[in-house]
Amino acid sequence: MKAQEFLVKEKFPLFWCAGCGNGSVMHAIVRCFEKLNYTRENTVVVTGIGCWGKGDDYINTNTFHGTHGRALAFGTGIKLANPELNVVVLMGDGDGATIGGNHLIHAARRNVDVTSIVVNNLNYGMTGGQYSGTTPCNKTTSTSRYGHIEHGFDLSGLVAAAGAPYVARGSVYGIVQLEKFILEALKKKGFSFVEAISQCPTHFGRLNGMKEPAGMLNWIKENSVSVSSANQLSDSERENKFILGKFADKEKEDYSTKYLRVIREAKKIKEGGK
Amino acid sequence: MTKKQDIRFIQGNVAMVEGAIAAGARFYAGYPITPSSEVAEASSIRLPQEDGLYVQMEDEIASIAAIIGASASGKKSYTATSGPGFSLMQENLGVAIMAEVPCVIINVQRSGPSTGLATKPAQGDFLQSRWGTHGDHGIIVLSPSTVQDCFDLMIDAFNYAEKYRTPVIFLADEIVGHIREKVVIREVDENEIINRAQPDCEPEEYKPFNHTENGVAPLAPFGDKYVVRLSGSTHDERGFPCSRPDNADKFIRHYTDKIEKNYKDIVKVRKYNLEDVDITLVAFGGSTRSALEAMNMARKEGKKVGVLQLVTLWPFPEDEVIDALINSKAVIVPEMNLGQMIREVKRLNDFNTVVQGVNRIDSMAITPKEILDKIAEVENESSRIFG
Amino acid sequence: MKSRYEIILSGVGGQGLVVGGTILGEAATMFENLNSTLTTSYGVETRGTFTKSDVIISKDEIFFPEVVEEDFVLALAQVSYDKYAKLINENCILVYDCNSIDPVDHLKARQYGFPITDAAREIGNIATANIISLGLIVKMTGVVSVESVTNVLKEQFSKKPKIYEMNLNAFNKGLEMAEQL
Repeated sequence: MKAQEFLVKEKFPLFWCAGCGNGSVMHAIVRCFEKLNYTRENTVVVTGIGCWGKGDDYINTNTFHGTHGRALAFGTGIKLANPELNVVVLMGDGDGATIGGNHLIHAARRNVDVTSIVVNNLNYGMTGGQYSGTTPCNKTTSTSRYGHIEHGFDLSGLVAAAGAPYVARGSVYGIVQLEKFILEALKKKGFSFVEAISQCPTHFGRLNGMKEPAGMLNWIKENSVSVSSANQLSDSERENKFILGKFADKEKEDYSTKYLRVIREAKKIKEGGK
Repeated sequence: MTKKQDIRFIQGNVAMVEGAIAAGARFYAGYPITPSSEVAEASSIRLPQEDGLYVQMEDEIASIAAIIGASASGKKSYTATSGPGFSLMQENLGVAIMAEVPCVIINVQRSGPSTGLATKPAQGDFLQSRWGTHGDHGIIVLSPSTVQDCFDLMIDAFNYAEKYRTPVIFLADEIVGHIREKVVIREVDENEIINRAQPDCEPEEYKPFNHTENGVAPLAPFGDKYVVRLSGSTHDERGFPCSRPDNADKFIRHYTDKIEKNYKDIVKVRKYNLEDVDITLVAFGGSTRSALEAMNMARKEGKKVGVLQLVTLWPFPEDEVIDALINSKAVIVPEMNLGQMIREVKRLNDFNTVVQGVNRIDSMAITPKEILDKIAEVENESSRIFG
Repeated sequence: MKSRYEIILSGVGGQGLVVGGTILGEAATMFENLNSTLTTSYGVETRGTFTKSDVIISKDEIFFPEVVEEDFVLALAQVSYDKYAKLINENCILVYDCNSIDPVDHLKARQYGFPITDAAREIGNIATANIISLGLIVKMTGVVSVESVTNVLKEQFSKKPKIYEMNLNAFNKGLEMAEQL
């Protein structure tokens, strides 16, 4: 199926603001669906709540639109009950990394074969630009007018530390690289995670002197460094950078495969009596 | 004497698992919590023996999400918890209602609020089980009083869930969950099991929310030849978000109507000695056991006492309770809370029947003696009132 | 036997009282066509604090599962002995472990001390105190038959002959000790 055919054209124009990065990420995803010969029937797109949580409205595979922060938990059940499905979980930074942060690290640890794609636009877009768990320190949001005093998560570092076999961070500015990461993540057996640094000109950009989409994209570009060059930076220098690249790419037996052994053991016990 | 193979002496919590498996359940996701943990433990042992799957999630929010997801993939699914965990599940309970995904949630009630007394019984979640999640909705709640119920009624719980595409709450309590007693784990006939209806239309015509009047649309699993859109947002027949007021009105009424208008199919009660009564004890769950004991003791004293056990708690068995109110001089409601079910009974009491509660919230079971004392008290009062 | 027999097994967590109660219940329900319930009262601790199990064995259906009038109380710890000794009436039998409990005189109940802990050591495992106690209960009350309990033990430990043997020895030891009364 062609990438375009995965989109629900009748629901266009997209709900997202002009200049939002979500559309770019969505197109990268459906291009990957085409490359991997996914079908509408064998794919489930799972979303939570937030701007990116509306992503499933425009994708015509099976979809499950759940609650704020819990998309991975729904996705875990969907995948474990039918390991044949391609399960792709779309989350924003507020959704997947703040309210849903605990589910994120446990999903990475549990290693269920789902792919999660977090669009990280550094704030809560849908509710009006409040700070999230990834908002950088000192930035202004609608709830940190005097400068944000908390530090944002290094999401990819967090998920890699939690044990995910595939973790990569790209940005909407570098959409080609981002698409490559998404493709690799979809192909990876086990829990895979792609973080897409994206622009929110309406809220985060506007409050931080970048109200034009291009302004915020440029800011992302100028502050991006590769994983290898980030190694040369001090901790404080790293904190203000978007470190792009792969944080993990390894083979690790996934939950469903391992569970087959549990079933085998359990049946042995059952047949052997008490 | 020789052993009868199918008789076991096990806890209610363990019998629930056997009931779930007999009903066809093959997926459990949960988070351990006293006094429900035996359900998790037994599920982790038994499900893989039947090609099912047990997964322990990071909290109860994730647990209910996972069973809803698994059910959407076509597996009959359940979880078990107690008060604190049941509170955490309320938001996603709404997803199961809104997306109309069958599942069974076991709540083995313990003394609350908050952490309360983890190992002690209570029945304080009677109203929460009905109204715990936000927004208007209908829900089915069943309540066991014996270990045999834990097996048999669990099959009903899954059947209702599948038939009406709804979460079903299995509202047990510590008394029933932890008691060990005789249970017959019987072979369940195929005809006893209800599986969700499947579509037979062309894939492009399939709409997962195109309901019949007071019934539900067939629900195809993910991964079949149909494309299924499920959503916790207000949606149209196809599952796309829809903010039209008439659409919201239609669907929100549907969530209530599909339950309330099938009252006769869903409501189960048990009647003990109700043919000729002065006083009816209306009880549910573990307190039913105290009521039945009290009834037997009262009958020995020559008192005309009967018991109406509500097995289905929601939809509330209004017709049966109204009959009890009409046919009795007094109705006594023993419950391990400060009077949750009695509110419903009083709401229906247009007959000037004396309605009184026996309530305990000190973490101890209501004793038959306490109910007997109340019977005596009500008799005295009634004779003053009615002569 | 009475139509309803009420037993309390009391001690501290970790003594295997629930296992003991379950064996009694299984013997009654699975091998004798009787009814039985077992309920346990315990705290959030797993080990070392007061716990009791209520076992009811009856010809009739059992509704209220808690002991209302004790017919038999087993006490395996001082804390549980102290709790029950003065409460129970003359129709009740109180059996306690005289190795670990200092008894009080002049009780209403008929009380019997047995060296249960010593006997368990002799069997080779202190954890068999609960099974020894079962032997005492069965012999002194006849609430279920020796054969039914043996059947349960056989089934429980069918895959572990050594453990079966140890438990059977413990059970027989209890029967023997009660015999000597």
